[in-house]
Amino acid sequence: MKIETKNTNQIGTQPDFAKKIDVMRLLGYVCQELDLTESQVESAQSSYEAVGRWLSESETPEIRSAVIYPQGSIALGTANRPIRGNEFDVDLVCHLLAIPATADPVIVKRLVGDRLRENERYRGMLEEKQRCWRLNYAGQYHLDITPSIVNPRCSNGGELVPDRMLSQWKATNPKGYCQWFAQHTSIRPQFTAAFAEARIRADVQPFPEPQEKKGMLRQAVQICKRHRDIYFSMHDQDFAPVSIIITTLVAKSYAHCATNGVYASELDLLIDVVRMMPTFIEVENRGGIRYYVVPNETTSGENFADKWNADPRLPAGFFEWHSVLSETLGEIESQSGLDVMGRTLSTGFGEAVVKPAIVQFANSVSSARSSGQLSIVPGIGLAASPTGVRVARNTFFGR
Amino acid sequence: MLQNNAASRGSGKVRYGRLVWEFEAKPTPLSRTYRLRIEYQEGSVPKVVVVDPDLRQLADGRILPHVYEQHPTQLCLYFPKTGEWSSGKLIATSIVPWAYLWLFYFEEWLISNEWKGGGEHPKMNNDNERKTNSND
Repeated sequence: MKIETKNTNQIGTQPDFAKKIDVMRLLGYVCQELDLTESQVESAQSSYEAVGRWLSESETPEIRSAVIYPQGSIALGTANRPIRGNEFDVDLVCHLLAIPATADPVIVKRLVGDRLRENERYRGMLEEKQRCWRLNYAGQYHLDITPSIVNPRCSNGGELVPDRMLSQWKATNPKGYCQWFAQHTSIRPQFTAAFAEARIRADVQPFPEPQEKKGMLRQAVQICKRHRDIYFSMHDQDFAPVSIIITTLVAKSYAHCATNGVYASELDLLIDVVRMMPTFIEVENRGGIRYYVVPNETTSGENFADKWNADPRLPAGFFEWHSVLSETLGEIESQSGLDVMGRTLSTGFGEAVVKPAIVQFANSVSSARSSGQLSIVPGIGLAASPTGVRVARNTFFGR
Repeated sequence: MLQNNAASRGSGKVRYGRLVWEFEAKPTPLSRTYRLRIEYQEGSVPKVVVVDPDLRQLADGRILPHVYEQHPTQLCLYFPKTGEWSSGKLIATSIVPWAYLWLFYFEEWLISNEWKGGGEHPKMNNDNERKTNSND
């Protein structure tokens, strides 16, 4: 919250807007590398729509009235490309409107599986998982289809899904969560007048920023998830915080920061959003023992962090990871040299996305150069700008 | 001209038709700041040397690309005899911007190990006179 005064206290030092803007630009390129392609998403969509049509033609009335829709990162717009291999997850709900809460989860799950198996093509792709059915589209993606039924106790349109043992139903609200998240993405952050001014001055915005459709909240979630994946590839994967916890904490933190703070730059906002994530974990004292709650605000009875209370290594994993991420983001801003920053980012987010992001970053200079628009602008350096000293055509020579 | 130009603001002197000019260059907001020295003898061609930091250390043993000399690191900024540089050109508006560009690609090269700035290499001849032999 102190953001505006923090910078004016530095006597004689203007916040280095140009650097902050460029670091965000580089992170923006990293996010682009994390994205699934449009055609990947469209292909997955047409696949699950086809599954929906197959279900709607079932002879079993309960299945015929089923509705399939995405949940998780695909629905939220926070999906990352997989690290290894090509196949990404598409989480789907198969919502069975006609089935009562007294139904046996085992039977409900079987009903869905049976219908899928009736399709010759799907039969060959079908894999049974603990609570869902997986259809493998080899080399592309897999559709994970979880059956759900109406939760009569939830006044917010919530649903029930089988628990791990398939012995009972537990409350959840995929549609509600999606809306909740979307509302959070539409909260506009506030920046200082100085930053707003710096952004529109042609010479402090050296190059156009990468396509910004997703918004800062989604990008922050993507960055956190990728950092988590890289971090836990070198630590015990079992204690990695699950994506729904990360997503929920980032969303809450973003809402808080965007509403209450005035920031000197987008980078400062991102750093603060990440920094404040743990403050949105509720900690209760239950008979002297810490009890963690990250509630699903869209339905009662769902604690995303319930497993943390069964194994203390889970919250420990979260806090350790979080402090490494916070440190990484803080470090970048104080470093000098594209190579140094590149190495720090690669360590945190993986070379596979950082190297291409740096290539994009260099391309912005190269394309301005080849179209004759590259200049040296005072205080900035290389920029695609009509002001400053034009960089004439040249050919590097030598060894 | 060099002093008036913010990109090359620094210090130096001219003596007996020879200019020696030192200045700091930071190619982009994310880059390091480098200290450069330009030496220009009337009748000859400008020579640009990176005084600080030591680029060979940054390169960690790799051979620096597009330099005339590894150490002191003298940059190759243009193709000789093609008119990219001629004595009619102002150093401030030709050589200096090229030095910025070179340093930018240098940092990118440090991490990718590929020179993205384009360019040419001299043909190797029997003798060592690389500088003047390669205008094919």
